[in-house]
Amino acid sequence: MLNHILSILIFFPALAAMLGFIIHKDSIRAYGVAIAAIEFALSLWLWFSFDSSASGMQFMENLPLVPAFGINYILGVDGISLFIIILASFFTMIGIASLTDTKNEKNMIVTLLFLQMTMAGVFAALDGIVFYIFWELSLVPMLYIIGAWGGPLRIYASVKFFLYTFTGSLVMLVGMLFMAYFYYQATGAWSFAILDWYRLILPESFQLWLFAAFFIGFAIKVPMFPFHTWLPYAHGQAPTIGSVILAAILLKMGTYAFIRFSLPMFPDASVFFMFPIAVLAIIMVIYTAMVAYAQEDVKQVVAYSSVSHMGIIILGTFALNVEGITGSIFLMIAHGVVSGALFLLVGVIYDRRHTKMMSEFGGLAHVMPRYATIFGLMLMASVGMPLTINFVGEFLSLLGFYKQSHILTLLAGTAIIVGAIYMLAAYKKMFFGEVTNEKNKNLPDVSKRELLALIPLSIITIWLGIYPKPILAPINNSVESIVQLMHDKSITNEAKTRIPNLVKGAEIAKTSEQGAH
Amino acid sequence: MEIGLNHYLVLSTLLFAIGLIGVMRRKNLLLLFFATEILLNSVNIAFAAISHYYGDLTGQLFVFFVIAIAASEVAVGLGLLIVWHKRHGNIDLDHMSTMRG
Amino acid sequence: MELYLYLALFSPLAGSLFAGLFGASPRTKIAGVVPSLLLLLSFVSSTVLLIYILSGGEKVHVEMMTWMATGDLYIPFGFIVDQVSVTMMMVVTLVSTVVHFYSIGYMDHDKGFNRFFSYLSAFVFSMMILVMSDNFAGLFIGWEGVGLCSWLLIGFWYHKESATWAANEAFIMNRIADLGMLIGIFLVYWNTGSLQYDQVFATVGSLDKEVLTWMGIFLFIGAMGKSAQFPLHTWLADAMEGPTPVSALIHAATMVTAGVYLVVRANPLYDLIPNVGLFIASLGAFVALFAASMALVNRDMKRIIAYSTLSQLGYMFVAAGLGAYWVALFHLMAHAFFKALLFLGAGNVMHAMHNELDPFKMGGLRKVMKGTFIMMTLASVALAGIYPFAGFFSKDLILEVGFVENHYIIYTVLLFTAGLTAFYSFRLVALIFHGEERYKLFGIHPHEAYKFMLVAMSPLLLLAIIAGSFKMTYFEMVTAVLPATEYHVHSAIAYWIMTIGTQLFVILAIAFAYKKYANNKVKVPDGTSKMENNLCYKTLSNQYYIPYIYEEYLVKPYRELSSVFWKQVDMKVVDATVDGIAGIIYAGGEKTRVMQSGNLSTMLKWMVAGTIGLLSFAVVFGLAVRYSGEIKIILSGLGV
Repeated sequence: MLNHILSILIFFPALAAMLGFIIHKDSIRAYGVAIAAIEFALSLWLWFSFDSSASGMQFMENLPLVPAFGINYILGVDGISLFIIILASFFTMIGIASLTDTKNEKNMIVTLLFLQMTMAGVFAALDGIVFYIFWELSLVPMLYIIGAWGGPLRIYASVKFFLYTFTGSLVMLVGMLFMAYFYYQATGAWSFAILDWYRLILPESFQLWLFAAFFIGFAIKVPMFPFHTWLPYAHGQAPTIGSVILAAILLKMGTYAFIRFSLPMFPDASVFFMFPIAVLAIIMVIYTAMVAYAQEDVKQVVAYSSVSHMGIIILGTFALNVEGITGSIFLMIAHGVVSGALFLLVGVIYDRRHTKMMSEFGGLAHVMPRYATIFGLMLMASVGMPLTINFVGEFLSLLGFYKQSHILTLLAGTAIIVGAIYMLAAYKKMFFGEVTNEKNKNLPDVSKRELLALIPLSIITIWLGIYPKPILAPINNSVESIVQLMHDKSITNEAKTRIPNLVKGAEIAKTSEQGAH
Repeated sequence: MEIGLNHYLVLSTLLFAIGLIGVMRRKNLLLLFFATEILLNSVNIAFAAISHYYGDLTGQLFVFFVIAIAASEVAVGLGLLIVWHKRHGNIDLDHMSTMRG
Repeated sequence: MELYLYLALFSPLAGSLFAGLFGASPRTKIAGVVPSLLLLLSFVSSTVLLIYILSGGEKVHVEMMTWMATGDLYIPFGFIVDQVSVTMMMVVTLVSTVVHFYSIGYMDHDKGFNRFFSYLSAFVFSMMILVMSDNFAGLFIGWEGVGLCSWLLIGFWYHKESATWAANEAFIMNRIADLGMLIGIFLVYWNTGSLQYDQVFATVGSLDKEVLTWMGIFLFIGAMGKSAQFPLHTWLADAMEGPTPVSALIHAATMVTAGVYLVVRANPLYDLIPNVGLFIASLGAFVALFAASMALVNRDMKRIIAYSTLSQLGYMFVAAGLGAYWVALFHLMAHAFFKALLFLGAGNVMHAMHNELDPFKMGGLRKVMKGTFIMMTLASVALAGIYPFAGFFSKDLILEVGFVENHYIIYTVLLFTAGLTAFYSFRLVALIFHGEERYKLFGIHPHEAYKFMLVAMSPLLLLAIIAGSFKMTYFEMVTAVLPATEYHVHSAIAYWIMTIGTQLFVILAIAFAYKKYANNKVKVPDGTSKMENNLCYKTLSNQYYIPYIYEEYLVKPYRELSSVFWKQVDMKVVDATVDGIAGIIYAGGEKTRVMQSGNLSTMLKWMVAGTIGLLSFAVVFGLAVRYSGEIKIILSGLGV
């Protein structure tokens, strides 16, 4: 079973979702929770049997689909994708468990299970086409969630979300086709396998174009400035569970794909584009933080804060050294946990008041102390307080990028200031002061069901902030192999110097060899 | 003066132009069929002439194909035309716009 | 010894968690008593460690577990107890134990009693991490942790707009400095390959001067925020919105001195860059004078003490900047005792006066509050630096450092500030405890604080009086790790002239303050007197208009720019572009759908047009390929 655990992780929820149609309406919730719990247990088992000391792909599966064109069903995980898969199944589980008064609950749960399939698929796929299929498929359940359960502008938001990301991924598909074609030209055989592509050394000009093609697909998904405007609409209109999954997992596809595709396949182009992308990332960080500060709707604050944090992730990724990339992957998980929790928290108050406008609240700390405490914890995690999960990621990302540029890191570091500004301002507006609004006087504090989701997230937030090692170590191993691959593959001198060589001995041998000549 | 290939080709072009104008200008479905017939036949002339010029029968073979297909097309087309006329009482092109996008 | 280290470090955390358990439940004494006892335990453990170190023991160094490890980076949770950190531990645990016991009485009637102790103990825990860590990352944990607790405690009465505003201001301003700190840490890591103090300081000597300078500057920016040095000083006065024990513990004795601690800790680095050190000292001297001048006219009891703290922090930075690290640390310690005492006394007064803070509305309180009166007077004497109180030994030493190191401007500024310090301290004492009983006008019936609160304060009183006598013991202890430079004025006569002159100057200032404010003619100012309309007075009482400038030229523009970014840029430019592209495609479809008129005749015309278009394209393309050689020549002739 362990040989096929990834396939099981992908298709078990899909099968269960289809069966879900015949389950009775009243028991669908229990069914959904059970399925998601099994899925989560399976992903934990994956972690348990994962060999943390190995850096390569594990649990590989290979099944030919279209052998003539080298399209194969290849799956595998390494330290980079493992934890995002676990996070995805975790969020599906607590998402379903904490689902509150939803119309058509059955459809929602079935949709969520389908979504779980696509998420597991994206992060486990090691074949370009399979990856692309899951990547696009993931749009459909989310489109449905926003469009069917969303707010008043849901159709606009969902269509925008779909078309925007879809357009980007089409460009990415063209890039993939070219990549396979180049592989064909170089070796005489077609292949869409990512690991095959890793071995291909492309001339720099090709790398630049292909990097740009992939970049558009990924950047829209992340979303990077200036491609970010679909996100506030999607978050603004999506139901709580939609926002949670969108922020926690779907956004990570973009940043994950940067690390899986762009960096190892195009190391020279990555170095070439490092500074422009870093500038975009810094604009993302500062600009969206300011926009977040201007928001009146608390959910939009969290939505824009997501963009701001994704900026740091991008920056860490393009640090192109082990510290930075490890940090950015860790921050992906951290941001998933924290922003997921923040969206859940916004959902809590929305369920009670059916409004998200901060001006409607004030003094909530008096009426909902437990809610205020958990919100405060997540707020502190979001602004990157040490010993919370976010700090580890942010610290490492910035530390990594500092190696590349001092000034840009200084600018990006303002994230810790501007982040504090909008978060504290929002917290102050919602929780501090006297209770002025009559409707807020008798709000019930967080219920048991809501705590079911929030407590585990709080525990993870602190636990991984204090002891990140169980996650950091496997990530580190995989990242080291990627960085080494990039260093070995790169052809320009600039890239050779920017990307560190981890094999210290080889470097010395080489220099002494040069000295001998 | 001997009638050469060029004369045939000029004739074919002229006929084609006439047919094309007919296709574009005519509003009556029946006349549209006439115009398409002219178009097809202009091509047929060109085929036959060039076939003769190169001494290659393939062109003339194609002419037969075209004639056959044109005949069947006209047969089907006229059938539809009659049905249309029975239903709507006219065969004016401007009234046929159910495919409007 | 490791056991004592862990006890000292983790018992505040245990206390915090314990009180936190009662967070949502109604006020219970136990939530205050248990954390206080646990802190006492922490204090005792620290004392054991101190005795151990004093008796010549080795440094205690433990590595609890790995925190972050990736690539070449390795950061453990490591703790060290050496001569420097044990001094800080003693200060922190002693003052916080006192403050904890005091708060049991002070917060007696507050419904957030349990929550308060949870926060307060959490603060102590963060502070202990800050001073005990053996690496910069651990320091940063504590650094941010105390910031967080400070935020929680300043905004403790969160229903008050001013309190929450002050809390956010403090947090954000500290964050600005923390960025500098973070950059400093990055610099340290990439240049030395480690964040452990011992490894870093072992390698700094071999580094480039420029890198070291930047390191020093950025780390000091971090210190500037926590220690509220100009221009990041405004938060400290506003932080007085928090409960008074908080002001005593956080904003006088411990957290604000973290910056000084950092400079002292990084002494091998700062020793190599005397230019930065001189800058630190100059800024310190400036802040000392600047803050003291604001304290002269302020009409808020707690703010006066806050400015005094700021001023004293300036003194400490002068010492640290000039390389007299042990002097800085000594003044830090002495200052912690008498300043905390002063604040706690102010807390008693506040309680007595029903949260009235304007000393002009008090007067004559010595009759009803004898204990507090004595304590505050003695604390002020210590602060003014009268022999033989603690302040004399520590503060005069800083003056001597300035003199001996030949920085006469700094020396003069500090000397002048010493006079100001004496003046404003006794202005406060005179206004509160002497003169007419002006509070009667406002119908307030003051009463003395609980007995046990006064008892709790007494250790501080004792130390404020006698701390100076530890000077030599202390010197011998810390100079095991800090540069052991003794500062002596070369000629004995000069020394006596200086000392007696300073003392006379200070006593004169005190006498002047008493003469002006201890009589019965003091009235509650109503804004009409000539002095209050003086430009100088206005500038000072408006804090040099700096908060106003920050509000007008930083906060407001930021808010407006944010709004512009959202409504104009994000909505009207970025999003509108995306929607515009979609709109163009949509409009294109809308326009071209006319082609699909359903009219066969029209469609045939389009078909013909399309055919002709494609044909002509093919022809043009074919010709272009055929004559490409010629076209290239023509184009190159055109200079394309």
